[in-house]
Parts: sequence; structure tokens; C-alpha cells
Amino acid sequence: MTGLSSKTASSLAAIVIILSLWEGISAEMNVKTVDLPKTIGVWTRSDSARIIDASNIFDYMNGAGELYLAYGFDRLEVYKYTASDQQEGILVEVYVMKTSNDAFGLLSMDWGGEPVAIHPLPSAQTNPTVALPTRALYGGGLLRLWADAIYARVMAYRETPESRNAVLALGQKIAADRNSPPEPEILNILSQTMDSGWRLRKDRIGYFRSHLVLNSLYYLSHQNILNLDHSTEAVTAAYENISVAGTAKSVQVLFVRYATPEKALKALNDFHNAYLQDQQKGLDPGVTQKYTNFVKIEDGWLGYNLNGTDLGIVFECPNRESAQIIINHISRNAVSKEKDHGK
Amino acid sequence: MGNNPKRLTRRDFIRGTVGATLAVSVLGVPWAKGSAEAGRPSIVTVVRDKNVMDAGFKVDSELLKNMLDQTVLRLTGKDKIQEAWAQLIKPDDIVGLVPTPHLNPTHPELVDVVKMSLLETVGVAEKNIIMAQGGKRKPGRCTALICMPALKGHWLTGIGTVVKNYIMYSGRPSRYHAEKSAKLGEIWLIPEVKGKTRLVLVDALHPLCDKGPQPDPRYKWAYNGLLAGTDPVAVETVCLRILTQKRHALRGEPWPISPPPICVEAADKAYGLGTSEMEKIKIVHSGWDEDLLLG
Repeated sequence: MTGLSSKTASSLAAIVIILSLWEGISAEMNVKTVDLPKTIGVWTRSDSARIIDASNIFDYMNGAGELYLAYGFDRLEVYKYTASDQQEGILVEVYVMKTSNDAFGLLSMDWGGEPVAIHPLPSAQTNPTVALPTRALYGGGLLRLWADAIYARVMAYRETPESRNAVLALGQKIAADRNSPPEPEILNILSQTMDSGWRLRKDRIGYFRSHLVLNSLYYLSHQNILNLDHSTEAVTAAYENISVAGTAKSVQVLFVRYATPEKALKALNDFHNAYLQDQQKGLDPGVTQKYTNFVKIEDGWLGYNLNGTDLGIVFECPNRESAQIIINHISRNAVSKEKDHGK
Repeated sequence: MGNNPKRLTRRDFIRGTVGATLAVSVLGVPWAKGSAEAGRPSIVTVVRDKNVMDAGFKVDSELLKNMLDQTVLRLTGKDKIQEAWAQLIKPDDIVGLVPTPHLNPTHPELVDVVKMSLLETVGVAEKNIIMAQGGKRKPGRCTALICMPALKGHWLTGIGTVVKNYIMYSGRPSRYHAEKSAKLGEIWLIPEVKGKTRLVLVDALHPLCDKGPQPDPRYKWAYNGLLAGTDPVAVETVCLRILTQKRHALRGEPWPISPPPICVEAADKAYGLGTSEMEKIKIVHSGWDEDLLLG
């Protein structure tokens, strides 16, 4: 290898340094996602945000970082507002996610709280939705919101009328000038009602990509028996039927869309081996891309349907008929939405 | 097992086969060892004071000190506080205090009143009271540990209170995720820790029943209590009862802890750290009894 002349080497070194500096400056310029006021009410924030990424999220929140990494996580910006008087502080956490769907997913983990309007664009509130038509929920001093690819938590350490106003104002500031993409398309497989009185619990819809999140919403297995990962998207929801003997009966729907039909088939096979191992061992080798099955297990009837990249499962049905009704609904919706999408 | 290893699933919880599945899939130790001595229930004290926190959740340290005294008296069955503490800690012990450091942390006021009791009532030298949360060198120096977690649900493990409180002593907390959270009990058996925990004292002043460890004020409430015992699994089992009943009360419908906290029963049946069976636990309650959540 021939050596570079000292002049060339110096020039290259200078270019590298300039590029590094420029990259650093660009990163600094790009890193700030929200433009929060320096003061709000009696609270004043620190000059700069603390920036957290996947490499140091556990230093910031040991035991909770997995939740954000389970979705498409880019970075977290943390601002702390303090007050000089008796008021306690306000914590602002802005999670910059890779897609709007990921940010929606974080909000969908819990629909509890008081819906509040934080978005200036009316379309954000008026477009028909499958889930609850809100993008921000407030309770006890904590505001959680979804604004495009941002999920934010704004929390007053002590709730007072003043801190509530400040928290909501900060939420509006975070959402300002941001797009309002629709909720994830996969939610459209969920009918509001189904035959025989099954009604969707809008407050029990969760969107996710990881079995860890699924287990928080509906426990299935401590292991990843459905092969969920960042290339998949999934929704789970409860349906309730209050016409059965006058008491509410709930079933759980799970629908996963895989990147390829092969992945979907493998996932069904693994699910079958893990969850239904007392049934037939594995799937019939003849199963390729379409398959429907119903089995009775300890907590009721379970039905599933594989169709290309899509796998729908329903748990805890009171009888085979209800499992068939629900699986048929989901499958029909998935196919018709795909056709709509293809037009 | 081959290519089809046994997986722990929802069905195991319905069928009652959790132990058998965990034993062959994760633990590598037999299930159903158990540790409760026949005929001797584990005592868990629940001491509450309605006024220990004000409306802004500020802690009254004097009332908290009274609650601590009541806790130690009732746990040991002694009449005098010096005798009660003497049953747990000796003056020449090197005592490690192991609070939850962050994300719904143990109240510092509780740490302070425990320190004060050790200094003034037991006579432990100040240099021999160590804040022992962190790496395993810290408990290694101690002759006694006081496990002082705050009561909270945990989105990954179901509960993140007593058994999980020593996770940093493992050196690799990420090894105890998901199904492997069943193995959290093994950390209590490493040489630096084994047999040193003289008191489990849970800060249940302002617990969190969902979405932990990140704070969510909707799921925090003023329970105003201290839970204590010498059997860590029994204390955790009572903690689970409180969290579960609070969740049901909040939603007005069954709201089980999810994922199910497998570390608690495993701490009993696989690692023999104490009992997870409520019928083997004697709850000794004193003080405020409204919304006790132990029905």
C-alpha cells in the first residue's frame, strides 16, 4: 500500500474534521423535535433537552425501555420544567417514533383517562375511527398524546388547576403543526358489531409489534410463540356480548399481518406447536396459504384463520358457532380491505 | 424436546401446569420444593395510617416512624421496640438498605426513619449502615440486608416489588426478562445475598397498580401502608393481593395482572424462599382499615 503524501493526508484530515463538525451541527439542529416555551405559568424549563436513544434508554428508565423498543423507536427528548414556588415540576417526554402507527400503538396500550383536544386541525377529531376518536388522554396530572410520529407523556408531579392548564398547553404545543395521519389501517379488520350481538370494546383495542406488549394487553405466552417482530403489525381487541344469559361474555380477537406468507405460515405452525400441542402435532403439511380451524380448549373455543400474510385468531368463545362468526368477519374484512387497497 | 420445546402459555395457568412447564423449559430446578415450615404460617404485617401523607402526598416522618415501630413490634411479637429490633438486627451488623432507587422509588423518608431506628434503637454504627442497592459487591460487604422496595406493578414481570428488588445483584438484569423472570428468585441465593435478608419492608404509601415502572398517576393511590415480614415471598404474595384488588376496583370488572407474575410462585416452589400460598400466610393488620384490599 502506497502512503499518502503529507499534504494529501492533511487535506483529507481537514475534510474529515469539517464533515464531522458539520454532521455534529446537523445532528444538533435536527435533534430538536418540539419547540416548547421556555416558561409556562410558573414553570421554567431547562435550556436543552436530554436526548435518549436505544443505546442509553435503560439508563434513563431501567425496566421500562423495552416498551418503547418494542415499537419503532427513534429517540426520546426529555424536558424538565421546574417552579420556584410551592408547585412541583412538570416532566415532558417526547418519544419520536419511526412511524405514526408506532406512536398510535403506544397510546393504544391504555384508553383510560379524559379525552382532550390538543390538535388544532379539526380532521384529527372528526374522521371516523375504529378506536376511540381521541388523540390525547388526560388523568391525574398525566397527558398522553399521539401526534403524527410522536407519542408524548406530559406529567405534573402534583396535579393542581394550574398544572393541568400547563400540561394541556404543552400538549397543544407538541401537537401544533403536525399531521394527523389516520389510525393504523389494520384496525379496519375490526367490525364495530358482529352477528349474534358481539360488540367491539373500543377501549380495549391495542396495536403492537411485540409479544411483550401483547402480554401486557392479553397474556398468551411468555415466549414469542407468534414470531412477532418489527416487520409485523398486530391488533388485539375484546368483543363483548351482553345477550348471553344477561351477563357480559368477552372474547379476544388477535390479528397479525406478517411481512410474507411464509412468515405467517411459520408463525401459525409455531403457535400450533406451542399453544395447541395437545391437538394434532403441527399443521397438516398440506397447509400452505389458507387454513381455518376451530378447537375447544380449557377457556372456550379457539378459532384461527390463515390467509396469505394474515393470521386471525379468536380466543375464549362460548361455542364453535361464535368462533366461526368472528373468524369469518375478520377474514372477510381483511380480504375486502386488501381489495379496497388494491383499487 | 428437540425442536418443539415446552412453552409457558395461558393454558398452563388455567390448567395449573405452570410449575411443570417452567421446570422443564427454564428453571432447571425441580418445582414444588416449597419452604414454609409445617404449622408455622408466615407473618406479614400491614400497618397503615390515614394521615401519614397529606393531600399533596407529602410524608409526615413522625407518623411514618410510628408506623415503622408498630411494624417491627407486630412482626416480632415483642412489647418493647429495642427487643423487637434486636430480634432482627444486631448492633455489630453491617446493614445494607436496599430501596428502589428510581421510577416510583422508595420514599426517602422511609429510608431515613429506618436509618434512625438502626442508629438510635439498635445501636448500629453509622459507618455500618450502607445504601446497598446496585452491584453485588454491596451486599457482599453486609452481614444483614433490609429489602425496602416500593409497591408497584410492572408491565414486563407483572409485579416489580420484593423478589425483583435484588435484580441488580445479578450483574445482568436483562437475563431476567419475559419467561426468565421466573428465575429472579435465584438471585436471592447467590453467596453475597443468601440468608442475609432480615427484614422485608415494602413502601406501600403510594403504590402503583398498573403501567409500572414508569409512573402513571391514574394508577397510583394513597394506600398509606407499610408491609413487612421475614418471608419475602409471603410479603410479595400479599402485595399481589393488594394490587389485584385495586385493579378490579378501579375498572369495576376483573382486571388481572398481565403478564402473570411467575417470579412469585417460582420463588416459593423452585427456590424455596418462602410461601406463595395465602392460606399459609398470617396477615397482622393495624391502623387505618378503609379500602384495605385484603378481602
